[in-house]
Amino acid sequence: MRLEIAVMSGPAILMFLAFVIFPVALAAYYGFYRWHGYGPPTDWTGLNNYRLILTDPAFQQVLEHNALILVLSLVIQGPVAIVLALLLNQKIRGRSLIRVLIFVPYIISEVIVGTGWSLILQRGGAFNDLLQHIGLGSLQADWLADSKLALWTLMALISWKYIGFAVILMLAGLQSIPDELFEAAQLDGASYWQIQRRITLPLLGPTIRIWAFLSIIGSLQLFDLVYIIWGQYVSGTAGTSTMAIYMVSQGRDAGNYGYGSAVAVVMFLISLVVALLYQRFVLRRDLRGAVTEGAAR
Amino acid sequence: MARKTHTATAVAIGLGIALAATGCAGGGSAGGSGGGASGGKVTLTVWENATPGPGAEYWRQAAKEYHALHPNVTIKIQLVQNEDFDGKLQTALNSNSAPDIFMQRGGGKMQAMVDAGQIQPLDLTATDRANAGAAALAGNSIDGKVYAMPTDTQPEGVYYSKDLFKKAGIASTPTSMDALEADVAKLKAINVAPIAVGAKDAWPAAHWYFNLALRECSRDTMQQTAKSLKFTDPCWTKAGEDLASFLKTSPFQKGFLTTSSQQGAGSSAGMLANHRAAMELMGNWDPGVIASLTPNQKPLPDLGWFPFPAVPGGQGDPTAIMGGGGGYSLSKNAPKEAFGFLEFLVTKGQQEAYAKDFYTIPVNKDAQAVVTDSYNISALQAFNKAAYTMQFLDTEYGQNAGNAMNTAVVNLMAGKGTAADIVKDTNAAAAKG
Repeated sequence: MRLEIAVMSGPAILMFLAFVIFPVALAAYYGFYRWHGYGPPTDWTGLNNYRLILTDPAFQQVLEHNALILVLSLVIQGPVAIVLALLLNQKIRGRSLIRVLIFVPYIISEVIVGTGWSLILQRGGAFNDLLQHIGLGSLQADWLADSKLALWTLMALISWKYIGFAVILMLAGLQSIPDELFEAAQLDGASYWQIQRRITLPLLGPTIRIWAFLSIIGSLQLFDLVYIIWGQYVSGTAGTSTMAIYMVSQGRDAGNYGYGSAVAVVMFLISLVVALLYQRFVLRRDLRGAVTEGAAR
Repeated sequence: MARKTHTATAVAIGLGIALAATGCAGGGSAGGSGGGASGGKVTLTVWENATPGPGAEYWRQAAKEYHALHPNVTIKIQLVQNEDFDGKLQTALNSNSAPDIFMQRGGGKMQAMVDAGQIQPLDLTATDRANAGAAALAGNSIDGKVYAMPTDTQPEGVYYSKDLFKKAGIASTPTSMDALEADVAKLKAINVAPIAVGAKDAWPAAHWYFNLALRECSRDTMQQTAKSLKFTDPCWTKAGEDLASFLKTSPFQKGFLTTSSQQGAGSSAGMLANHRAAMELMGNWDPGVIASLTPNQKPLPDLGWFPFPAVPGGQGDPTAIMGGGGGYSLSKNAPKEAFGFLEFLVTKGQQEAYAKDFYTIPVNKDAQAVVTDSYNISALQAFNKAAYTMQFLDTEYGQNAGNAMNTAVVNLMAGKGTAADIVKDTNAAAAKG
């Protein structure tokens, strides 16, 4: 029995150690050095990298961006996804088609989405042309580079891309609510809004909380879309840079691998703390019973 | 669920770190294990970044010719994609599976390899020195020792469309910033972008600052700064102010902040290739890039070149030229036969072939007769006249300070920073490196 466990889970555990635990430990180790990546690190600087990170105004700036993206993602995507899911949960014509259309952006790779939208939204791009042709020429703008607009452009793209995923989750959640509850409420004379407010939303709670968790973690680690559309340099001036962008630009692009590793560790710790707090305070009820503790039934 | 995503967090960060720390996984082919062995049969590995085409063909041919002359030496050429190059090389060097010979970008990166004892100093003969030329060798030296064999010179200047200049009524190329500003106005009048710049990649924008600094700062200042990495001389701020005042004339294409430099027709090189912009400040790789982006993918017939204009009152020599000029280095365990191949690369015949296949200017003066394109002739003349050349600043001052400088220049061009910030940010970056 023990042998079986070892044989079956061994390879997975080895992979996990090699590609997750080892790199994390390695980054923690490199983070204590001033190291340019050639030869083994020798210049031990203790916590100096961490001191520099926490005092770098650029890091505070990317933290703010991450926080803003996190909040806006929850505030924009959540309600829209719930409303869409409620609509799509009814028997309407072309329901499958609409579901597919909403879900498609989620499955297209970030590289394609990023390249496509950056061509459309650039100064001389299709979107500004469209505005011109439909008589809204005065609304033309530099959607990507103007720092007053860029973050909102990013939020629009993130919402467009990820809302399909939220809708699918919510739909699944809706389907798990027993029909009898709605029937009973209808027999008791509850209105449509009463049903949604008193039955659907509370029972959809676990799904919403899980979606919010995924959204939060995704927001903290946002990298590819920003990197592809803005690149690590312009994202700073456009106000769309994130912690992950900072890590790459300070680590790989500046050749400061020790410093970049320290940034990675900081990102890891922030994500970890957020994840633990969320699990402790928000998901506690949802997880009760799902996680086995000893012999408890 | 929470636990699972938490794991996903760890995986994502872990992989990120792994990639950041080691570069992309390096598939280094075995080589250099000889440890200085000589005599008998030797196989050498060469890593370089040519794209498939004439450049790659040049290397295959050179390997074949060298093998014919030295039957005991077999040379394996490996093409490594340019953007993947540094990461792969770094991994290979750190894991003792380095290629024997590899393309060297020079500057701070070469310094880091020398500090880590990963490359060999080259013991050049008088013939080698004559072939490569003193100026090019100086660019590949650290503390008087040569660490890379140069193959071509990369004088930077402004590439321009002769047709568009004619159409705008510009009689001769500008030799001062004032004249350049006047030409910018004339080009706007015919509705083309006067100057294209790919600021999304930062370095093409930063090169405007580099060249202004080359004109504002004396050679001494620039060289001393490379040692101290303290940008205290007022000329560094003055160069930023020059750039800020040039920006007031809106010389660059609209939306230049989100334009990349080399990818596709919408890039800065693409704009020049399609006559949508009249000028671009670039190194000598630009004609090849432009050629690949013209509608028929042939070299742009009306492409010209002029040196960066003079700045009144600057401390730098107005003939000085900014230019890269990497070469080829030997990893620490490369056998001595590898050095023989480097010597072979700078001989006249090889240099002529190299110049033709890469549309570039060879370092060997005897081979420079093969330069026939008008833009290369202009560049060569300016290069031979130059009082001195200066390595691109983001290479000269190392990746760390260079990256900070590039970012700060983009900030200035986006209207988010000042000339003083360039100096401040670059100085601050030194603390991290």
